[in-house]
Order: sequence, then C-alpha cells, then structure tokens
Amino acid sequence: MTPVRLDRRRFLEVGALSLAGLRVLPSLRRAGEEVVVRLRADPAGSRVWFEPRGVAILPGTRIRWELEAGVHTSTAYHPDNARAPWRIPATATPWDSGYLLEPGRSFSVTLTVPGVYDYYCAPHEAAGMVGRIVVGEPGAPPYFPAARPEWRPLPQAAAHGFPEVATIVRHRAIR
Amino acid sequence: MPFNARFTIRPITLAAAVLLASLSLDGTALAQEASPAAPFQKVSALVPLPDFVPGLGILYVDPGTLPAGPFLAYGRDGRLVSTVYMLPLATFERHEGWAGLSAAKAAVDHVDVVYNAGHPGVAEPHYHVILWHVSREAAAALAR
Ligand SMILES: [Cu+2]
Repeated sequence: MTPVRLDRRRFLEVGALSLAGLRVLPSLRRAGEEVVVRLRADPAGSRVWFEPRGVAILPGTRIRWELEAGVHTSTAYHPDNARAPWRIPATATPWDSGYLLEPGRSFSVTLTVPGVYDYYCAPHEAAGMVGRIVVGEPGAPPYFPAARPEWRPLPQAAAHGFPEVATIVRHRAIR
Repeated sequence: MPFNARFTIRPITLAAAVLLASLSLDGTALAQEASPAAPFQKVSALVPLPDFVPGLGILYVDPGTLPAGPFLAYGRDGRLVSTVYMLPLATFERHEGWAGLSAAKAAVDHVDVVYNAGHPGVAEPHYHVILWHVSREAAAALAR
C-alpha cells in the first residue's frame, strides 16, 4: 500500500535518458506535474470506469486516482497484488490503493520507470474496469512476461479493456 | 430513472423474473427490527462498503449465504425496506439457478432487477433482485 517512492537518482537518470535518447513529446505534461484519473460509477453501479482509462505521461509525473462515485481501487497488475499477472515494467514498484470508499478520497503514485503500466479495480476487474499508463515514449513492446501457473489469468473483459499503446501515445488521454 | 429503464432487454431479466415467481416468501423468519439477529451481520463490518449504500440502505447478510443472500436492507430510520438477492451472471451463464432462498416476512410492494458491475463482497458482475417492502417513493428516497 506504500506509494511508489520517487527515487531521485533514478528519476534524474531517466530524465537525462529521455532528453538525450528519446524524442520527447512536447505536448506531454512536464515531469513533476500531476495527472488525475477519476474512478467513476453510474448511480446503479451498472457501469464503472477509470477516466481517462489510458494516459501518456513523462517519467516523474504523479498520477492521482480520485474517487468520484462507487467503491473502487487502483491496483497494479503484478503478482504481489493477489497473484495478478505481471503487466508493469520489470523494475517498477507495484501499487495498490486499497478500497476507496468516500467520494473525494484519492491515492497517488509517481511513476519514474519508462514503459507500459496496466492496472485494475479489484471489485470491478471482472467487469473490465482496467486502465493503462504509458510512461515516456516506449520504443519497445511492453515488458509483460508470459503467464505463469502461479499467477491468476486475466479476466476476459479486462483483457479487452486496455487501449492500444500507440493510440494512448497519439492522443495522450483516452476516455 | 424511469421505471422501465430498470428492466433491460437482457434475457437474464426474464430468468430472474421466473426465479422470483418461484420464491417462497415464507422462508426463514427474518426480523423486521432495526437489525436482524445472528447469523446476520452488517455488511459494512464484513467487507469494505459504506454503512449506508446509496439506493439500497443499510445492508445485513448471513455470510453463509453469500453471494446470493438474502441481504436485508434497512433505511436510516431503522425500518426494513427490502430483501435483496445478488445473483452472479456467471451462474446464469452456467444455466444454474437458486432454490429455497429465504425472504423477510413482509409484504412486497414492487420489485427491481438491477444490473451491478460488482462491489466488495460480490466482486463480479451480477444482478440485484430487490423485493421492496416499501413504496416506490420510499425506495427512491434511499438514493442519497
Ligand atoms: Cu471499480
């Protein structure tokens, strides 16, 4: 449940790397800024979603999930979280907000390792409530290791819920 | 929400209606007081849910009957408002059903069948079948 710590040294390395080696998208929010993802639900609880469900950020940007309605979590796809499949960069730290119950409550992490991060809402994963964050400009396909028997499988609705990486990079935020 | 909107065109709704018709309301005696006796427990003490769930009220369940229930819902004034069953879609898809579900010994005013994407306790898509023991107006007042 501990938020990802901003490792200053790694942050600086990543910053230098992105300036030297990668084409930095000028329209991306600057590192150190904050991006808000809202956790939403209709009054009946029939429809639940992250908004935006796909977002592109620079390394070092803080992501804050804010509860608007319903009961949700933001939980990284990582075996440390209820044997979930691994769908974040290899060296990134997984997160789990725990249940957010009261509207206005929020949870933040700062993502410093470039790559693709997939996450889900624990009570709504089976309903397809998932999100994707692209940190930096991925030059390679996301690092997602092949499924292992000790990890639980991805529910079908969740597997269909992730926007394409290229689409997220192009539009910065996908609703 | 217009009343008709609660009844989606899914075939599941029909199945739920048939199921309802077969339910006996003379099941286990379930209390109408402000809180039912053991083995019923407050849902908010069992799973991370608010005490008062908007649209439903204060929920109690016998954990041994999860996920279907019955859940007993009470208003803020301590009055029994509904008996709720939470029926996972997956059970319908396996063409399975439920029999002999208990219900509160209270008159049923009207019934809602509402799709729910999931919540702590029943973390999968399911239908709430709600036997309202109060008027539509009183039920609507529970929205907030
Ligand atoms: Cu959710």
